[in-house]
Amino acid sequence: MKSFFIYLGIQLKADIRDRGILMTYYLVPLVFFVVIGSIFSSINPLMKPVLAASMSIFAVTMGAVMGTPLPLVRARESGTLRAFRINGIPDGAVLAVHTVSACIHLFIVSIVIYVFSPVLLHSDRPSHPGLYLLVLLLILLASVGIGILIGSTARSQSTASMISMLVFLPTVMLGGIMFPASILPPLFEKAALVLPATYAMQAFSSLAYGLNSSLHPAFCIFVLGGFCIAAFILALWRFAAVIRKQ
Amino acid sequence: MHMEEAAVSVKGLVKRYGSVTAVDGISFEVKKGEVFGLLGSNGAGKTTTFECMEGLRTTDGGVIKVAGCDPVRQQSLLHSRLGVQLQSSSLPDSMLVSEIIRLVCTYHHTAVPDELVRKFGAEPLLRKQYRQLSTGQKRRVHLVLALCSNPQVLILDEPTAGLDVQNRAGLHDEIRKASQEGMTILLATHDMAEAETLCGRIAILVKGKIAVCGTPSEITAAGSRQTKIRLRTSAGSLFSAMPEIADAQYTETKDGYIEWSCRNASSAVIEILTCVKNNGDTVEDLRVERPSLEERFLELVEDPV
Repeated sequence: MKSFFIYLGIQLKADIRDRGILMTYYLVPLVFFVVIGSIFSSINPLMKPVLAASMSIFAVTMGAVMGTPLPLVRARESGTLRAFRINGIPDGAVLAVHTVSACIHLFIVSIVIYVFSPVLLHSDRPSHPGLYLLVLLLILLASVGIGILIGSTARSQSTASMISMLVFLPTVMLGGIMFPASILPPLFEKAALVLPATYAMQAFSSLAYGLNSSLHPAFCIFVLGGFCIAAFILALWRFAAVIRKQ
Repeated sequence: MHMEEAAVSVKGLVKRYGSVTAVDGISFEVKKGEVFGLLGSNGAGKTTTFECMEGLRTTDGGVIKVAGCDPVRQQSLLHSRLGVQLQSSSLPDSMLVSEIIRLVCTYHHTAVPDELVRKFGAEPLLRKQYRQLSTGQKRRVHLVLALCSNPQVLILDEPTAGLDVQNRAGLHDEIRKASQEGMTILLATHDMAEAETLCGRIAILVKGKIAVCGTPSEITAAGSRQTKIRLRTSAGSLFSAMPEIADAQYTETKDGYIEWSCRNASSAVIEILTCVKNNGDTVEDLRVERPSLEERFLELVEDPV
C-alpha cells in the first residue's frame, strides 16, 4: 500500500508537469466555466441557479472522457506498461493510480467551480451541500469509469480521441448542461437517458438545490451508481483482456 | 552442464503468432556469471525468446527457468531476481528520472542505488523529465532501472543501440564487471564485435531455431570460410613466379598484395615466407585475416543448411 501511495504522489506531480493534462483537467474547464458560464447565466436565467452543478458536470465529463483515456492508451502503445511490469510495477497499480489521480484532479477542479460559481457568476449555493457532494462523487466516478473504459478499449490514440468525442459531445448537448433537458425534442430527450450527465443534472437540481426534476432523485442516484459499477467492471475486464493480448 | 548450475534454462521453447512460428523448439542453458549472446537477423526470434523468459509472453511449448523461477507462474519473484532492458520501451514523459528510479526501487523494496546512478553517469539526468532525455540517456536510465534490484540475471536486448562510443565502452566495462561479480547476463545484439568481445558463448538464431551455439572461436572455426593471407614484398618477386603453396590457394592479386586462402594459416605462412626468402625478396606487409564472427553469421543467415 505504501508503494501505491508513493506512486500516486509521483503521478500527481508528473500530471502537473504535463501540459495536456493541465489543459483537459484544469485550464479548459475553468476557462469554459468563466466564459461560457457568464454567457449562459445571462442568456438563460433558468440555468443560473444550478450553474455550479452544470459547470462541474462539464468539467468532470471533459476531464474524464477526454483526458483520462489518452495517457492509458499511450502507456500501452509506447511500452510504458511493459517497462513498468518488468520493473516490478503491476499493471493493476498503473490502472489504479491513473484512476485515483484523475479523480483527485477532477475533484479539485469541481471544488474550485463550487466555491467560485456563486462569487463570480452569482449562482445559488446548494441548499444541501452534502447531497451535492454525493452527486458530484457519483458523476465523477461514473465519468472516470467511462474514461478508463475508453482507454482500455481503444486500440490507438486516434481511436480513443474519436470515441471520447462521441461520448463528450452528446453529454454536453443533451445532458442538460447547456440548457434544460426539458426543452429538447422528445427523441433527443429520450436519447439523453443513456448519459450519466442527464441523471447527475436531475439529481443535482432536486437533491442539492431542492428544485423540481422530471426524474425521481432516488432513481437518478441508483442509475448513477449503476453507471459507476458497470463502467469500472467493464473497464477492468477490457484492461485485463488488452494486457493478455499484449 | 548440470541443471543445478544453470542460472537460465530453456528447453524446447516454442512460440507461435497465429500461423507463424517465431521460436521453434530452441533449447539452451546459461551458467551463473556467464555472458550469453543471442544473435540473429531481424525477426529471427531473439526478442520473442527474451520476452518469454521475462514472462511478458506465454509460450506454446517448452519449459523455461530463469533464476529458479517459472516466468509465467512466479512473476513477482522473477521480477526481484531478473533485470531487463527491453529493446523498445518507454516511461511516462513527464516523470523525472529521480522519480522513476524511486518508484521502481519502492516496488522492489530496495534503497535508491546512488552508486549505480553515479556509475552510469545518470546523476545529471535525475532532475530531467523522461521526455527531455536523448536516446542514449534513456538507455542508461533503463539500464539503471534494470539493475535497481541487484538481479541475479540480467537480460539486455540491444543495449548499445543509440549509444555513443564512450557510453558503449562504459557499458561494456559494466557488463564485464557485473559478470565477474556473478551476475548472469543474456545479450541480444546486432553488433558482432560486441558479441565477440563480451560473450563467453553465443547462439545464432535463424528462423526461430538455433543454427549454432558455442564460444565465438568455436563458431567462427566451424564455418566454411577460410583464413586469408595477404602479402606485399618490396621487389614483388612472387608476382612473376607465383609459387605453389601446399596449404593455401591463390585467390587474387590486388593493390600490390597477393592473397591466398587457407585452412591452416601457420604452415602456409611459413611456406610463403620461405619462398620470399629464397627469391631474395623482403616482406613489406603480411596480413593474416581469420574469418570473423560477422562472416560466419552471414554465412549461417544466408545459407542456414
